[in-house]
Amino acid sequence: MTGFLLSAAGFILLTVATGLVRILRGPGDCDRMMAAQLLGTGATAALLLVASATGAPGAVDVALGLALLAAFASVAFVNSAAPPEQNLNNEAGVE
Amino acid sequence: MTVVNALDIGLAALVLALAAWTVAAREAFAAAVGYVAYGLLLSLVWVRLFAVDVALTEAAIGSGVTGVLLIRAAARLRGATPALDEPLAPPLRFLAGVLCAMVAGALAATVLLMPDPAPTLAPQAVGNLPSTGLGNAVTAVLISYRAFDTMLEKVVLVLAVVGVWSLAPDACWGGSPGAPRPARPEAALAFLAQVLPPLGIVVGIHIFWVGADEPGGAFQGGAILAAMWMITMMAGLTEAPPVSSTRLRLVLVSGPAVFLAIGLAGVVIAGGFLAYPSGSAKPLILFIEAFMTLTIAATLPMLVAGPPEQPPQP
Repeated sequence: MTGFLLSAAGFILLTVATGLVRILRGPGDCDRMMAAQLLGTGATAALLLVASATGAPGAVDVALGLALLAAFASVAFVNSAAPPEQNLNNEAGVE
Repeated sequence: MTVVNALDIGLAALVLALAAWTVAAREAFAAAVGYVAYGLLLSLVWVRLFAVDVALTEAAIGSGVTGVLLIRAAARLRGATPALDEPLAPPLRFLAGVLCAMVAGALAATVLLMPDPAPTLAPQAVGNLPSTGLGNAVTAVLISYRAFDTMLEKVVLVLAVVGVWSLAPDACWGGSPGAPRPARPEAALAFLAQVLPPLGIVVGIHIFWVGADEPGGAFQGGAILAAMWMITMMAGLTEAPPVSSTRLRLVLVSGPAVFLAIGLAGVVIAGGFLAYPSGSAKPLILFIEAFMTLTIAATLPMLVAGPPEQPPQP
């Protein structure tokens, strides 16, 4: 069971690593931000899987914190980073 | 090679690659997003190292609050002409490279040349836990063994807010920090800012409360509460209080003030500055932590909001 959980975590990390390509290459700010969001979701999932496989105490709280704050950066992005002419584009990206 | 080893190596490679890219990125916004992603992955690394307290702090401060700070700074700098565009003269570049290599080399040597087993105070820290009544050795170190350091850290936070506020133009002194809020908040943003805080406040208080016995504590809990306040401000549902507000100022200084008061009382009651009377150490520690949580929850949003930019309302 432990091996299965860890393999699942590894698989999720692999998808996250694929998402990293979007952060690295962009091209737009929205693409980067959305990839960071995907990373937040993936990291939360991988964390829960690894924690239940290795039994690190309190790791569920870290996952809770990550889940709460992963969306946080995108709030700042929508709030301030988006230049006005890109607004339409951003709304499509967030929803 | 077992699955868990492969996972750890993969994770370390990801973190290193992302860190290198974030440093090398030419554009400020891209680097800020890279840094947020780096913080997320780093908190996973800390969990793998069984340093869950650090993982919580990394998630809350490293990628959460600092990420917002950097993204806003990058957005603000976007219009400005970059001052560092002209390349450094080659000899200066070479010198900078040598200096960086020396710092990195010294750090690497320190880590590699450490005696095995590394010197540690962990057994003593855990051995003295019963005298504090706590179950989490990290909290015991922070609030009991090294209480003086922690108290000064909180004073530094208040000084940081004073530093940010002192950048205010004369006309705006006493007004609210940050830009005026948008007239019509974006619907999706307002919805998120209404749904998330009730959950976040519960999680924040939970993490502060379990800090006595399990990973967590005032800083991590306070940072999550701070994030929730920031979301409502960024979505335009509430406005930052004016810097002249007495209530805000009281909350900002309450943490260090309570810490200092109890520390001074220790001189009389327990025979030493910041000493706790035996038997009542845990309630006192929780009392201090509660006020520290409040201070942190107010300080971080004030740091992110920046100096007052609106003239005070009459």
